[in-house]
Amino acid sequence: MQSSISPLQRMAGRTKQPLNRMHGTCEGVPVTKKLIFIVFLLLAAWLSWTLWSTPPASSTTRKLVLTGSSTVAPLAAEIGRRFETLHPDVRVDVQTGGSSRGVNDARAGLADIGMASRALKTSEEDLYSFTIALDGISIIVNRSNPAAALSRQQIIEIYTGAITNWREVGGRDAPITVVNKAEGHSTLELFLHHFGLQNRAVKPQVIIGDNQQGIKTVAGNPNAIGYVSIGSAEYEAGHGTPIKLLPLEGVQASVENVRNGSFPLARPLNLVTQSEPAGIVRDFIEFARSEQVRELVEAQYFVPLAR
Amino acid sequence: MPEATAHSIAPLGITRDRLATFVIWSAALLVTGLFLWLISDILLGGITRLSWAFLTEPPFDAGRSGGIGPIIVSTGLILLVAIAASVPPALGTAILLAEFSRRESLFGRSVRLSLDVLAGVPSIVFGLFGNAFFCIYLGLGFSILSGGLTLACMVLPILIRTAEEGLRSAPDDYRLAAAALGLSRSAALMHLLLPTAMPALIAGLMLGIGRAMAETAALIFTSGYVDRMPDSLWDSGRALSVHIYDLTMNVAGGDANARAAALVLVVLLLLVNGAAMTLADRWRNARIVTA
Repeated sequence: MQSSISPLQRMAGRTKQPLNRMHGTCEGVPVTKKLIFIVFLLLAAWLSWTLWSTPPASSTTRKLVLTGSSTVAPLAAEIGRRFETLHPDVRVDVQTGGSSRGVNDARAGLADIGMASRALKTSEEDLYSFTIALDGISIIVNRSNPAAALSRQQIIEIYTGAITNWREVGGRDAPITVVNKAEGHSTLELFLHHFGLQNRAVKPQVIIGDNQQGIKTVAGNPNAIGYVSIGSAEYEAGHGTPIKLLPLEGVQASVENVRNGSFPLARPLNLVTQSEPAGIVRDFIEFARSEQVRELVEAQYFVPLAR
Repeated sequence: MPEATAHSIAPLGITRDRLATFVIWSAALLVTGLFLWLISDILLGGITRLSWAFLTEPPFDAGRSGGIGPIIVSTGLILLVAIAASVPPALGTAILLAEFSRRESLFGRSVRLSLDVLAGVPSIVFGLFGNAFFCIYLGLGFSILSGGLTLACMVLPILIRTAEEGLRSAPDDYRLAAAALGLSRSAALMHLLLPTAMPALIAGLMLGIGRAMAETAALIFTSGYVDRMPDSLWDSGRALSVHIYDLTMNVAGGDANARAAALVLVVLLLLVNGAAMTLADRWRNARIVTA
């Protein structure tokens, strides 16, 4: 084995010499080569160091994993950041993916806590849920749209495709662009449930994922209608985005009306666990429901729990 | 008679030429115009927020204020993992395909076909695969490692195909001359073929890095959403593109910081591209005899 390799190596070594000498003009060659080599060596050393050194490090700190609703995620991340300053040995990792995912991950044990921007369904009553804030869902249209209010029946007919022109509901003569939420988002489920609709029956022109996408779609299309979280819609409408929040069943869509309980399409933002919370999970949930995070909840345009 | 035909054709030919010139110029202007519009839009929207503090501080208030320090670090780490994991196997496969197997062989064709199919797979599919395989099956969880390895799988087809084409573009004379000089195949590869293929290798790497840095769908389910400074590759880390996506699509009032982050992403890409190109030029000039 040894003897079969060495002539090859010798040959490679021999051929290298004359080649290098042939273009002896390049004085910087060995330096660049060395530099690249050193950089790679350092990188490799660092990579392997982090790879080997982390398992013991992770055993000293406790990691709390939250997954689920994209609506709750920014709030949970902010609460987590504050929780970490109080508990230096805990890391709070927040991941998104939608409420259904939060519930599934909590049940499967992939996450310590799931996040859901809705109440638990009857099929999910084996899980524990803890409300940390309230939110509402508002119907929004473009600010230039003259339609001032829509009745429950009109909204149902618009979303099922029975009404396709704004003229039929007091607007201008223009086709309606129906904006619906993608599957897996609880905003969709709540909207459908409130209006007694099936998702199959909805005839959308646009399907959106997260709140801001819905707001931007409606802001950019004078004939669009959509539904999003009240908090962010109110914020955007107040900051010059051309959208309008329509009242629902005669109640003005506002954070204030969600707070006082008069707005009909409100929802709880929940933390979900598979078993009775204990230890650090219980500490986190208690912290997330406490007065200490009130202004964090308000900063994300949600409604804090009433005391 | 010949003069007559020349006369009758000439005006038609000239208008046709002019039309072609016009079409080509307007197409070129349209493309450059679009590019400039995009760049200036990002620049104008992002430059006011940009500062040293923005580049180094962690984000606050869901990213509406604060900076993107940890996010830049996470993005860099994800990219490093992706490159470290994808370049060696890509280069090896490309050398095998280009130097040690015939172009028309069944093996070569089937590998190439599967690579082309892989290259066309949407990134969200890679994301779901990465989540199922790296995060759950291998137990890496939401981590920079999972994200980087998922991206490595994603860019592997691009890297292999461009590297293979680059090696194939080296003239066979080089191989014959190397053999005539008694160079071993590895020496010929190191001193002639790889340097010759270097522009193609770098172009492929740039394409790969570009695709990796712009990736959102594959990363949100693998490297995750955590915007803390990562301690190690086992920590979840939010990539720049995921951050931009979240700020524009999920956080009310996050647009200004999203634009600044987009500006940083574009500048980073240009920097990486520039660095790779100068490095490749140097390497090629240093190695190859006839430049």
